[in-house]
Amino acid sequence: MDNHLIEIDNISLLRNEKSILENISFQIKKSKALNLYGLNGSGKTSLLKIIVGMTEPTSGFIKNVSGDEDLFKKTIYIGHKYGTKGNLTVEENLSYALTVNSKNSQQKIKKALETYKMTRQKSMLTKNLSHGQKKKVSLMKTLITNSLLWVIDEPYSALDEESINIFNDTTKEYLKKGGALIMTSHKKIKEPFFTTENYKVYS
Amino acid sequence: MKILNIITKEFLLASRSGYEIFMPIVYFLIIIIFFNISTSYVEKVIMLELLPLMIWISCLLICILNLETIFKEDYDDGTLEMFLIKDDEIELSILIKILSHWLLSNLPIVIVAPLIAMVLGLDTTTTLTLFVTLLIGTPTMSLIGSIAAALTISLRKNKILVSIIVLPLYIPILIFGTSAVNNSFFKMNYSVELTLMLFLFFIFLLITPLACSKALKISLD
Repeated sequence: MDNHLIEIDNISLLRNEKSILENISFQIKKSKALNLYGLNGSGKTSLLKIIVGMTEPTSGFIKNVSGDEDLFKKTIYIGHKYGTKGNLTVEENLSYALTVNSKNSQQKIKKALETYKMTRQKSMLTKNLSHGQKKKVSLMKTLITNSLLWVIDEPYSALDEESINIFNDTTKEYLKKGGALIMTSHKKIKEPFFTTENYKVYS
Repeated sequence: MKILNIITKEFLLASRSGYEIFMPIVYFLIIIIFFNISTSYVEKVIMLELLPLMIWISCLLICILNLETIFKEDYDDGTLEMFLIKDDEIELSILIKILSHWLLSNLPIVIVAPLIAMVLGLDTTTTLTLFVTLLIGTPTMSLIGSIAAALTISLRKNKILVSIIVLPLYIPILIFGTSAVNNSFFKMNYSVELTLMLFLFFIFLLITPLACSKALKISLD
């Protein structure tokens, strides 16, 4: 129990009298990645939205068992939309994502740009980037904020092979430091990129 | 720090949005030019009596013009989701966003309108009253409009719906605003109107952040 962050207890969700999620229970643990996989429309995104508090479940509970009352404030959520402003440059988008600016945060932005190989595009307006590059900008936010939990909806979508590897490496590093990841995908993750548990979501 | 951060970001975005930032002023000038042309055959005293009222109506319509944009862009690009989840002072951030919107869309009109009124011959006292009523009235309209914008954010085309929701709520502000400038024009007391306008402003200053936060969360659900 010591390494548990969140307990999802018997979550159900009804929308227009249609059952989206039914009696879902699992735990989110420190240093672990949890992959929610399932078919399109199986309720993966709805489940993520319930976890981050954006959607109220019809029944069931989300329990913060981490001992840190501010866990949900220290959670970063990256949804289907990129969460970047088209009329801001890559660097400005990252800078405004930080709640507190300091010399250290500029270093973090520089490092994140280098990690995702986007230094050359740092002064470009985000609206002029490709979908994959926009996705990388949103993923870079995970590297500059001190989050205890990453909640990412389909992190691999729109990414090329190289960027997928970068994401896997950074995740591995983050999990080693005690962070946790909950993500969605259409399939089970088989490769041992990082310690992953797979949970199938049925509609 | 946070207030400055949001305001500088909104100003930066507005400065890169091209000519849109000047649209409220352009619309205002067009209305005033048309008003002048259409009243050119009436006596100047009557025109001057109608001018502040016309300015008030113009400001009200311009306020509605881009109300739906307050949260729309954030909703479309996904920044609203992140901000609603992570922000522990959502109400304050919403208030700062509304303030930025008012500073960018309405404040230029609040400054330009009395200047134009003076150029057209309105007396200093009435011009000053016009300025004060607009200074209280336009932020109140932005606060009311934000609730409607938040409630309709998930709709693809929410412009008309926002206008339909806010117009009846703007009527008291229009009545008090125009009544104050009219009383000022005829050298009558207008303190009651100003008090009522201030009362409405503070009421919506308290209600709007909470209402918007709830409405935005419901829209994202």
